[in-house]
Amino acid sequence: MPVQGLFGTTVELLGKTLDLRAKRQTMISANLANVETPGYTSTDLSFEGQLKSALKQGPNAGSLTNPRHIPLKGASVASLEKVQGDVVEVSSRNMAPDGNGVEMETEMGRLAENQIMYNASVQILTKKFEELKQAIRGTL
Amino acid sequence: MDFFTSMDISASALAAERTRMNLISSNLANVNSTRTAEGGPYRRKDAVFTATPVKEGNSFGAALSRANEARSVQVTQINEDQRPPRLQYEPGHPDADANGYVAYPNVNVVEEMADMITASRSYEANITATNAAKSMALKTLDLLR
Repeated sequence: MPVQGLFGTTVELLGKTLDLRAKRQTMISANLANVETPGYTSTDLSFEGQLKSALKQGPNAGSLTNPRHIPLKGASVASLEKVQGDVVEVSSRNMAPDGNGVEMETEMGRLAENQIMYNASVQILTKKFEELKQAIRGTL
Repeated sequence: MDFFTSMDISASALAAERTRMNLISSNLANVNSTRTAEGGPYRRKDAVFTATPVKEGNSFGAALSRANEARSVQVTQINEDQRPPRLQYEPGHPDADANGYVAYPNVNVVEEMADMITASRSYEANITATNAAKSMALKTLDLLR
């Protein structure tokens, strides 16, 4: 796709990040909703590592026979799309007597972190599109 | 949009906490009720919370969250506390037994107060989660500007 050359992997990566962070938001909401449900264990979505490795090793990454070769542009788009994230159960250090493992403070911290990172991604995406618009117009 | 699932989950928790708050109010209001329709003194009521999968929806988001086991919360049972009633010696009371003891409800005011604080804090936490999801969704709409 010629458009991919224009956008690079940045837009793909940011889009995927937004997707995963939205999913994570749902899981944090579920944890907060079940803060008093007996026997509930909190869950989290872990995807940073997967995203990183997807960025590094695209499907064509094997063709680099020399470390000084420059990887093919857009090679990792397909592998980026495959990243789904892992649903992990978070073990709590101090579980309540009813078997509930949700720590409200931890969840609130995660909620804030997720929100800030999401907003950061949106901001960068906005900036990216603005730059493209400027390039198209040819004016600053 | 996945955020609506997130808001649905938070909303289910708000509803559950509100039910719990109603029961706590009922317990506090009836702390001295010696007569009920079923006979005997009032018994303390408590909500049983159960984590349930997000409601079956047609949206893709709902299907996705089912796969990831993000669960909402529901009050599935209202439990009547089976602890014995509080006996108080009041021979002049119309509900006194042969020995002059009146059976008062098994409600502990301090316990109810503590439960009330937990319920209201959980409610606040879920409001915060809803606001977070809302602001994230609105921020995404800003991309269209």
